[in-house]
Amino acid sequence: MAKMMYREAVQNALFAEMERDENVILLGEDIVGGMGTDGGPEAIGGIWSTSVGLFGKFGPDRVIDTPISESAIIGAAAGLALSGKRPVAELMFADFIGVCLDQIWNQVGKFRYMFGGKTKCPMVIRMAYGAGFNAAAQHSQSVHQILTGMPGLKVVMPSTPADVKGLLTQSIRDDDPVIFLEHKALYASSGEVPEGDYTIPFGHARLARAGQDVTIVATGLMVGFCESVADRLAPEGIGCDVIDLRTTSPLDEEAILDSVEVTGRLVVVDEAPPRCSLATDIAALVGQKAFASLKVPLTMVTPPHTPIPFARELESAYLPSADKIEAAVRKIMAWR
Amino acid sequence: MQLSREALLRAYRQMRVIREFEERLHVEIMTGEIAGFTHLYSGQEAVAVGVCEHLDHEDKIISTHRGHGHCLAKGCDVGMMMKEIWGSREGTCKGKGGSMHIADVAQGMLGANGIVGAGAPIAVGAALAAKLDGGGRVSIAFSGDGACNQGTTFEAMNLAVVTKAPCIFVFENNHYSEHTGWKYAVGTGSDIAGRAEAFGMRVWRGDGTDFFSVYETMRDVLEHVRGGNGPAAVEFDTERFFGHFEGDPQRYRGKGEIDRLRKVRDCLTKFRTRVTGADLLADGDFGRIDAEVRDLIEKSVSEARSAARPTADDVLSDVYISY
Amino acid sequence: MAKIHPFFMPKWGIEMTEGTVAEWMVAENDTFKRGQTLCLIETDKITNEVEAEYEGIVRRVLVPAGGDPQPVGTLLAVFSDADTTDAQVGEFIAGFKITSTGTGSRASEVDAQRPAAPGSSSMNEGIKSKRAISPQALHLAKDLNIDLEGVEGSGRGGKITYQDALQASRRSVIPTLKGTAELAEQLDGFYASPLAKRLASVHGVNLSLIVGTGPRGRISKSDVMAMVRAPTLPAKPVNKADVVPMDKIRKVISRRLTEAKQNIPHIYLRTSVKVDALLALRKSANLILGIQASINDYLLLATAKALARHRDVNVQVHDGAIHHFPHADVAIAIASPKGLVAPIVHSADLMRIDQIALTTHSLIETARLGKLSFEDLNGGTFTISNLGMHGIEQFDAIINPPQGAILAVGAIMRVLCEVESGKACFESRMTLCLSCDHRAIDGVAGARFMTTLKQLIEEPESLFAHS
Repeated sequence: MAKMMYREAVQNALFAEMERDENVILLGEDIVGGMGTDGGPEAIGGIWSTSVGLFGKFGPDRVIDTPISESAIIGAAAGLALSGKRPVAELMFADFIGVCLDQIWNQVGKFRYMFGGKTKCPMVIRMAYGAGFNAAAQHSQSVHQILTGMPGLKVVMPSTPADVKGLLTQSIRDDDPVIFLEHKALYASSGEVPEGDYTIPFGHARLARAGQDVTIVATGLMVGFCESVADRLAPEGIGCDVIDLRTTSPLDEEAILDSVEVTGRLVVVDEAPPRCSLATDIAALVGQKAFASLKVPLTMVTPPHTPIPFARELESAYLPSADKIEAAVRKIMAWR
Repeated sequence: MQLSREALLRAYRQMRVIREFEERLHVEIMTGEIAGFTHLYSGQEAVAVGVCEHLDHEDKIISTHRGHGHCLAKGCDVGMMMKEIWGSREGTCKGKGGSMHIADVAQGMLGANGIVGAGAPIAVGAALAAKLDGGGRVSIAFSGDGACNQGTTFEAMNLAVVTKAPCIFVFENNHYSEHTGWKYAVGTGSDIAGRAEAFGMRVWRGDGTDFFSVYETMRDVLEHVRGGNGPAAVEFDTERFFGHFEGDPQRYRGKGEIDRLRKVRDCLTKFRTRVTGADLLADGDFGRIDAEVRDLIEKSVSEARSAARPTADDVLSDVYISY
Repeated sequence: MAKIHPFFMPKWGIEMTEGTVAEWMVAENDTFKRGQTLCLIETDKITNEVEAEYEGIVRRVLVPAGGDPQPVGTLLAVFSDADTTDAQVGEFIAGFKITSTGTGSRASEVDAQRPAAPGSSSMNEGIKSKRAISPQALHLAKDLNIDLEGVEGSGRGGKITYQDALQASRRSVIPTLKGTAELAEQLDGFYASPLAKRLASVHGVNLSLIVGTGPRGRISKSDVMAMVRAPTLPAKPVNKADVVPMDKIRKVISRRLTEAKQNIPHIYLRTSVKVDALLALRKSANLILGIQASINDYLLLATAKALARHRDVNVQVHDGAIHHFPHADVAIAIASPKGLVAPIVHSADLMRIDQIALTTHSLIETARLGKLSFEDLNGGTFTISNLGMHGIEQFDAIINPPQGAILAVGAIMRVLCEVESGKACFESRMTLCLSCDHRAIDGVAGARFMTTLKQLIEEPESLFAHS
């Protein structure tokens, strides 16, 4: 095990996979940075420092710094994938899917099906998502609810450095297109990462805390909040099963349902707005398949149905927090 | 003119297959047997064939919603394509794609595409792969005068220039983006190649109703691009004999326009006149090919009609490789 | 057409909740034009002029200038056009309720007494609430007489739902907590669901032995539970008996023991004897006599001598008669290939220890060969059965009729015993249990016999005394 930051785990996985397989190719805006400037290449190494050192090691043919052209980035990645490469495209901010959604949704996600299963499109689209930096409405969003709803794509949301490494490695080796969502507020978080080569299979939730009184389902940044809530409540004898989904497509239905069958109580925590979302999807799942196990109505902790505000006070009022989650758990525990 | 007799016969046959395929579909669609949207390529055959006769399966092309011609020219199987258009599970895409999504990656055909302008970025990616692999392979994005107005096409051209990708943007100007004229919709005074040139690549122009013009232009273009000089663009002026889609009442057409186009701008007639005029091929050669192609299309239609239909279970397959 | 314009305390900005009328620029019955300043309103941040957005007449000023702050939405004045009568204005004011001027309290306007939807019943008198409430919730509140004050509405705009009302009707409960659970290792390479991992660690199931049947080939709860249950659900156990017909001896044993246990009223007398002296004596006596007498032989001798002294125990019981014998014919229970046999040492009380040893040795050998004669087995006045060599501490034996009693001998054990003045030491002791036929032998008679026997064993020199 080695202590590593979330962003270092991204770089680490990219480096290892590029070294292992020459078909792995990176492309994105400023992933090298400094191209065409007096500062020269590698002045940046990705605005999240997730591709530091890769250009120097693997060169311009495999680390392709692109203009600000998201459609072209995703389209080019798709063309590379159809031509036998394993591209890893980076969208600087997940919010930018708006300008390249056609390529993600109509092209990448559908090739295999439209072409009758006769081709594959092994590519990864990495993107930084999430709020917490007062980046306001166009640079803070959690877009997984849009992408999870798109058949043909897999959607990965790692919450720890160890999961970043294992899941990104899996994403690159996977033969289907994968959306890899990195939470920007987690980049500086650190944790133990196993040495060497390993993958984490998709659709395999991580149990972050084990308890038998209430099931809390979360992803990404929200997982840490839920863990701290579980730790706060444990001394009172309230046991929280904190399920970190890891991937929202495929979804580990079994982990959720197994847990709810034990606890009979469900709190879904989601960073995305509450309508037609991952939270409602899980609520619907439990309503359909674990209704008989529920002791109390399930509850959701999500932001309101608004764009993400800018001011510090507003953003913190908007986002789910450990306090809000704790309040929801206490409320559900007090149900009569 | 250095084309061998065999090459000429083959070129004519390819164009004839496309024409017969499309003209037959035009008739069959009226019967209501074929579902969905179908966009026919009749009139533009010289472009697809003139370009693809230079390529083999290791070169990539990506097509448009009007993709049958490119598919056939790139070597997709006629019978399987017909079955696909009929929605059979024996079709090129098992009945899951239909007319607008025929693809055969093994043939270097990265798909017809239902989204206007979506193909160009993908072609750049394929070109980057070719560049990485070495070997002088190219990737070609077919676009129309409609797609040339899409931002994706602009992004793709710039990215190709920036990355020196061996990508060729072939603009088939058939003068109509759906139901709107090029003179209105292309803001650069109807000059598409000039626009591409502004992105920083060499451009060519040719007569898209003349196989020899297309073929010879492409020889120069390919020499440039295979030589590692980055991307290039070509604009071919051509004609669309049918509507935007089958069922289009074409009220935007001029009176007698189509009759006139079929008379003076038919690439097949032009080819035949020129070749027979130069005594390269005889009328009998054409007659033989025409009959052979008629039989081929007849056979493919009757087979498509009776081919196996997909089942409800087929809905669930081919989404993911593993899930 | 009468047109009445209510004039409310405005809401300027998301933070404003109340305001004060600083000054009225118009008075009742004044006519005003569009754009004319009507009043000045102060908030905690600003003072603002309010301009007329239409022309009209000031009909009534309800909140005079300079008073207390008024909540946003308070009716401050009523304006109208010229056609409106005083009566209409009065009616409007009477019917006005603080409501819907963008204060977000629109929901509170709904009168719970009004049927909330067409078709809802009119049984709702009795519950009065200004709060928005669903028809079913209102029914429930009435039926259960629920106090809706303080109920937090979870519906849109704070509307009280059926669920909210039901909750309000219930007493608060303390949930039964099951607490936290052990967290199974996550990055262990096993593709198993979290619950499966937890169950595996609880039940000690090795996940590497399981082939998963869950989604994507994953190990599920049921896969683990199948392993857990496996040992308790074997194929129907096959335990087929090897049927061995009873031979003659076994049949005799069987019949006699059954008769004995069914017909003889047994009485059991138990005592513990110290055997350290006997063990020591046996060693030197065997050496001196040049014999190999066993502890059993010494016990047999002691028993025979005690029987000779207690003829009321040395008996046989026959139909209605008790046969007292002068000498002890003591049977010894031996396990032989043909089962339990009890050959007899006749008149053992007359023998020396070396004779007894010789006799028992011969009988045991004969028994092992299965060659005991009728004479060897017939009669007897008493039996000794010793299971001590098998570690049995004590047991109760079944009398061997027509004998009157049997002695069950347990294992010799080292036990901690109290000796004089509270000190303790280890002693070798064995437990003896005498089964008597109570028809012939009284408890006291048996007890006396046992006292004698105990004395002979604990002071074994007397076995060699001339009797």
